[in-house]
Amino acid sequence: MSDDSTTPGAPVPKPYKYQQAPIWPTTIGKPLQPVQPLHACMGLNSCKGQDRYGAAGPNGGPRPGQPNECAGQGYCSNTPDHTCHVQNQCKDQGGCGLYGTAEEMDNPGRNDCASLGSCATPINAERFSTNGPNQGKSVWARARQVFHQQEWPKLREQNPNLPAELPRVGGDAYKEDIFKDGPAYLWVSNDNEARSNMTACGAGGMSGAGGCG
Amino acid sequence: MSNGSDPLRPLTPSEREMVAMLEQLSREEILQQLKQNLQTAIEIELATIPIYLYTYYSIERTVTTAEQLDPASQFANKAGGVIMSVAVEEMLHMSLSSNILYSLGEAPQMYLHSPSPYPTPLPYHNPVGPPGPEGGRKVLIPLAKFGYEQFWHFLQIEYPEKVDAWPEDRNWNTIGQFYSYIRCLICCKQITDEDFQVNGADTQIQSYNYSPNNIDTVHPSGKFNSWGIPPVQGEPCPPPGNGCPSAAAAAEYSNQPDSHAGPTELMTVSSKLEALQAIATICDQGEGYEHRATDDPSRTEYSHYYKFLRLQAQLQRYPDHVEKLPSLPVPPDPIEPTVTDDELAEVIANFPDNPITRPVGVIGNSYVYPEEYWALSDLCNGVYQYMFIMTETVYRVPDQGQKLFFNEGMHRSMIWVLDKLIQAMRRFELADGHVLAPTFENFNLGSRQEAYGNLIGLTEAITDNSQLQAVSGIIDNIKTLPDVSQYWTDAS
Repeated sequence: MSDDSTTPGAPVPKPYKYQQAPIWPTTIGKPLQPVQPLHACMGLNSCKGQDRYGAAGPNGGPRPGQPNECAGQGYCSNTPDHTCHVQNQCKDQGGCGLYGTAEEMDNPGRNDCASLGSCATPINAERFSTNGPNQGKSVWARARQVFHQQEWPKLREQNPNLPAELPRVGGDAYKEDIFKDGPAYLWVSNDNEARSNMTACGAGGMSGAGGCG
Repeated sequence: MSNGSDPLRPLTPSEREMVAMLEQLSREEILQQLKQNLQTAIEIELATIPIYLYTYYSIERTVTTAEQLDPASQFANKAGGVIMSVAVEEMLHMSLSSNILYSLGEAPQMYLHSPSPYPTPLPYHNPVGPPGPEGGRKVLIPLAKFGYEQFWHFLQIEYPEKVDAWPEDRNWNTIGQFYSYIRCLICCKQITDEDFQVNGADTQIQSYNYSPNNIDTVHPSGKFNSWGIPPVQGEPCPPPGNGCPSAAAAAEYSNQPDSHAGPTELMTVSSKLEALQAIATICDQGEGYEHRATDDPSRTEYSHYYKFLRLQAQLQRYPDHVEKLPSLPVPPDPIEPTVTDDELAEVIANFPDNPITRPVGVIGNSYVYPEEYWALSDLCNGVYQYMFIMTETVYRVPDQGQKLFFNEGMHRSMIWVLDKLIQAMRRFELADGHVLAPTFENFNLGSRQEAYGNLIGLTEAITDNSQLQAVSGIIDNIKTLPDVSQYWTDAS
């Protein structure tokens, strides 16, 4: 049996697509505003400066030190990370996809309260839903769709300057929309170097992130 | 995919004859038999769960990585997904039988009702069955690791009945015949819809607690690119990377959402029709609809029997098998690629047969654990029994609180406690080369009111440092399980 057969993630895709991006932070930064709605993942933030880097802004990338400029542009969740179904601590923190009902999986990031969430945050880009209308499809893309349909119109009422469509993650900072599929585990794990940065369950090794067994 | 559900089939000629005979009994006698048999049904379904889970946990599903899957690893991952898909449906069946019994005014009993000792007969199962791989006809089901022989025992459990088989309540030959007898009792004219309304639907186990699939019932069809991106709803699949599809594109789902009779898989019961629908779901999923290999209108979900038979058909011994299989559904031809015994050994943990914690109640085939592991095994058994207490407690939790209770109790204990505990245990190798496996015993946690406190006490009994290190996070999760004592102040 070759080494590659047992090395998680091998072979790692090259070149590293996120060279120009900030490094994924293992801790959540202090927010720009003291009260803010919590959200489960990248591109689901409701206001400026609300994401994992917080008021201090990203630790690198094209705009280091500058907090994100608007709703829908943020890098990753501002909720405490959790690894799986029922382990969430608050509303709208469920990542979904791995365990849960068809209804839950069709509404990722929209749970009512602690313990009613499904699956890990952040929602790694590789994750797919296992039940319901979104079965076999991207969980993160579904979370963005739901955010666009349910939350975005309310935000636009409050702020008419927001565009009709969701902005890119990171705004126009990147020439290519490198986060168009969500937070890839390659980025979260810093080019497969830090696989414990996040874990997601799944005994068959199909969750696309470092396994919790 | 079909959005329909299994139609209720009419009574067979044998069932009509049985109904006519049963209708000679008094209403009270029929009701009493119905309640007794439903409790037996719960115990039969309950008995299958540890048997399937034990074999499931003997499988190492990810020995190789996604991109390097070899045939044995791929088979192991598939076998794991398929067995888990059956185990999930057995939990559904236990819930459905429990809902019917509860609707009749009886509290389902699960705590301390697990089989013991192993190898075990199923409750009221005929101890003599069709000849097996070695020619023997005993129906005694062991706790055993994955292998050809164990799959014969799985087939003994799920063996389909013959067309128009005689309904049987005691000494039954197939589970289908046992449920056929229950169906006959329900169809008696003395039984009415009102009988199923003694306890209301609002405190039964609700449909929103059940999902046919989860990430553990899914398996890959072959090598896949673990970095691959899944498609977006309404858009085409992205092109495969590294020559392999994404995990999403490679995913195969052993369960289908249309595999049920009635409105939903998990349903509440308040009429004869709903009771019959719940039983139809159980029978169809187990043995197949109308003696087919599949159990659903879309004909995409195999019955439990056929799921197991298809796995066995990929093993080296299958082409020369001598055990007697039913003529319907027609057994599959051998499935390629064949997995040899040597390849299987690479992906199966060395679980002992029929382990027990202590040398108490030992029978000839038991494997007794060394004393240093008693506390850890007790904890696993305590969690196992507490899960049954929590299931019984669901019927005492008001509907508006049931979802939260179910998530924090049942889902957390399955995914975050029992699963992780068994995985931690199997890392401990015993002196003879076996690894530590769950024993699934009837560990007595005292009264239901005392059970939570006694479970926490078991966590404190683990003093070995290496064991503590392995399970400390799991113990933290055990302490977040709901304390059910508040629901049992009126009972033991």
